[in-house]
Amino acid sequence: MVELKIRAPVSGEDIPDPSAIPALAPGVMAHSKPYVASPEHQEAIGFPGELVDDWEERAVDKLGELVKNSRGLRVYLDTCVKCGACTDKCHYFLGTGDPNNMPVARQDLLRKVYRRYFTFAGKYFPWLVGAEDMTKEVLDEWYTYFHQCSQCRRCSVYCPYGIDTAEVSMAAREIMDSVGKGQKYCNEIIGKVRKYGNNLGLQEKAHRATLEDLEEDIEDETGVAVRLPLDEKGADILLVTPSADFFAEPHIDGLIGYAKVFHHVGASWTISSYASEAANFGMFIGSQDNMRELAMRIRNAAEDLGVKRIIFGECGHAWRAAYNFMNTLAGPFDFLDQRYPIPQHICEYTYDLIQKGALNFDKSLNDDIRLTFHDSCNVSRASRMGDKPGGQYEIPRAILREVCNHFYDMADDTIREATFCCGGGGGLLTDDLLELRIKGAQPRMRAMQQVAQDHGVTHMAAICAICKTQFAKVMPEYGFEMDNIVSVHQMVSNAIILDGQKIDREEGEEQE
Amino acid sequence: MLTIAYAVLFYGAALVLAGGIAYRMWEYSTTPAPLKIPTTPAPVTRGGVIVRMAREVVLFESLFKANKWIWLFGWIFHAALLLVLLRHLRYFTQPVWGWVVLVQSPGIYAGFALVAGLAGLWARRVLVPRIRYISAPSDHLMLALIIAIGVSGLAMRYVFRTDIVAVKAFFLGLMYFDWQPLPADPVLLIHLALVAALMIIFPVSKLLHAPGLFFSPSRNQADDARERRHVAPPLRTAARARQ
Amino acid sequence: MTYQLNGTAIEHDEEGYITELASWSEDLAGLIAKEEKIDMTVEHWEVVNFLRDYYEEYQIAPAVRVLIKQIKKSMGKEKGNNKYLYTLFPYGPAKQACKIAGLPKPTGCV
Repeated sequence: MVELKIRAPVSGEDIPDPSAIPALAPGVMAHSKPYVASPEHQEAIGFPGELVDDWEERAVDKLGELVKNSRGLRVYLDTCVKCGACTDKCHYFLGTGDPNNMPVARQDLLRKVYRRYFTFAGKYFPWLVGAEDMTKEVLDEWYTYFHQCSQCRRCSVYCPYGIDTAEVSMAAREIMDSVGKGQKYCNEIIGKVRKYGNNLGLQEKAHRATLEDLEEDIEDETGVAVRLPLDEKGADILLVTPSADFFAEPHIDGLIGYAKVFHHVGASWTISSYASEAANFGMFIGSQDNMRELAMRIRNAAEDLGVKRIIFGECGHAWRAAYNFMNTLAGPFDFLDQRYPIPQHICEYTYDLIQKGALNFDKSLNDDIRLTFHDSCNVSRASRMGDKPGGQYEIPRAILREVCNHFYDMADDTIREATFCCGGGGGLLTDDLLELRIKGAQPRMRAMQQVAQDHGVTHMAAICAICKTQFAKVMPEYGFEMDNIVSVHQMVSNAIILDGQKIDREEGEEQE
Repeated sequence: MLTIAYAVLFYGAALVLAGGIAYRMWEYSTTPAPLKIPTTPAPVTRGGVIVRMAREVVLFESLFKANKWIWLFGWIFHAALLLVLLRHLRYFTQPVWGWVVLVQSPGIYAGFALVAGLAGLWARRVLVPRIRYISAPSDHLMLALIIAIGVSGLAMRYVFRTDIVAVKAFFLGLMYFDWQPLPADPVLLIHLALVAALMIIFPVSKLLHAPGLFFSPSRNQADDARERRHVAPPLRTAARARQ
Repeated sequence: MTYQLNGTAIEHDEEGYITELASWSEDLAGLIAKEEKIDMTVEHWEVVNFLRDYYEEYQIAPAVRVLIKQIKKSMGKEKGNNKYLYTLFPYGPAKQACKIAGLPKPTGCV
């Protein structure tokens, strides 16, 4: 593993500005590339097993096809004026200094090929506009740097034309997949969802055992028999949550929180073992076929179970795919109860209940926590909660303020629409990219260090499975503990008082 | 001979400019936008989208959030360009419209602002390592071209005065197909040749950002995916195939 | 990519997870642990054996919480927490312990 120069500031030391611009360090991340998908993983999701013979030609053809079928991609490739507004906005650039991690430079890796084959200037005056042939070097460069983009859309907020590097990254990955050079992490996972219904490869028997185990835990802790139903036909609500919620810490504590909320209001709900994954990794690789395949699983589960509503658990990119894409890819959802948002976010659900006074909290149970909130990138810049624009910022905060006495926001230019990605989004949450993940987390971690210094903040809450796993992994590199990252509904779970719950203060403080 | 050459040049340039932009807009509008991808928070209604777009076009809102220097130079340049273009309407109208008369004197100061804004942008392109890194030769040439147009224009106003009555007659002649002689002043000829060059490269260059902005899905889509099912043409066929 | 154990080559993937689960043995576990710079103690074996038993029944590694509960039962309350598991397996109980136990790597947002 590469030695990192990052270290936590000692107490009293000035914390560098999270947005501080590093000096350009060309090529410093050129070595970073994820494992290539095996033929087995490639073929399972409809791509050639390995690099095809005429890959140059096929890559160019694929690019042409994508440009013809995506107005966004075409406009983004044509309109950039190289003004430089985005150059200091990417967390991977801020964390590494590699100029290819400046959004415009990343786009240019693809744009130079687009220009060469599809524009007048690039065909006849390539040197003038920086157009280049599709070569092995270019392909390798794509593989390296399009796997250093977490598709967080921060650059698109600041671009005067809204150019979204995420779209360019997705296109590049789709081209690479289509010529047989896919990324192992994403493609293996998509295959698992198509086979088992979730990213983990969790099968029904294990799924049921895990949920039963959690039911036992909750009853031991609270004295209340809270259920986590699986595959119950006729339930009102289908909960679709990231499978990490059935496996990892602190995700699972969030799942317990959802269950307690449902229980407290007597909701009829179920989890599906067939559609046991909220995340849609098809988005990361820009593959609409795979996105549709995964979205259809959720539709089919909802129809089979006969539910009236679909609620999504805490998962950032999943919420984007559900909120913005599911209706297009797998709709119309006319068989669901139209009085509720389709789909609904678990935070919207809990927030509504709080508004109605339907939940009971003892905030002091979270008094050992001084909290801040990390806006997950795809929730912040690619979706919404509630009726009003920006509800995705206000609703989770309103929930946290309701369940916790000590809440402090991080610096304004690092939250809400300006939020920094955790550093692990967009298909990069894999161990083979750990160096990149640690460096990419730097802006967010500095912002957290600032509130830790200024307000004694100890914990950060998030509503995304990727964010939670990423922070649990990288926080120790920045002077925090791995369990300083918590789920929003974990905070809810800590503070909620269920009817008939035994109150044991000491237990409350010991919650992991 | 000179008159004929410039007349042909300007007919050609106007044709390329209008035809090229029309073609691009047709191309953009017929390319499907398969999914909803507005950058949020985004307006939830079409009316809201129009307001958002207006703020982008008039105020460069996103650029303002991004970088105050680029915003300042960029906005000055574009606002000045608008005034300068409006000022030039007097060469194409007879009688000159009242409000065009009103912008004559601001239009002159705008000429200086235009050059100053561009100089600021160029300085950043050269001096800021990040922006230097992303600049291709064409990015420098484009700035050089527009600055040269601005400087040659100002030169005619203050140093090498030309017969603007004859210039106006030339352009009105072009419009009404009643060709009039063009004065053979070198600065004027340079100015006009550069303008024609700019018109010709517009549709095949990054100047496409002007029409492109209006087609950018991250800015022109309403945030209403849950309320209204978004279906682009190719997906419609896919959806039919599924059923 | 192989582990060399007593003259036989045992295949593993880029990250060191064995590809043929049946080729696992306690000796191999010891070898993988050595490469991971872990000295296998009774506690390590406890975790590894539990993972293998669980996998045999469910074809997947247990949730971290389930593992913690098991450790609490067998090693006592003070060791039944995620942090203790990380002292045993610094790279994470799920991933590193699975590798040593000869199980596939847990995938997804975990």
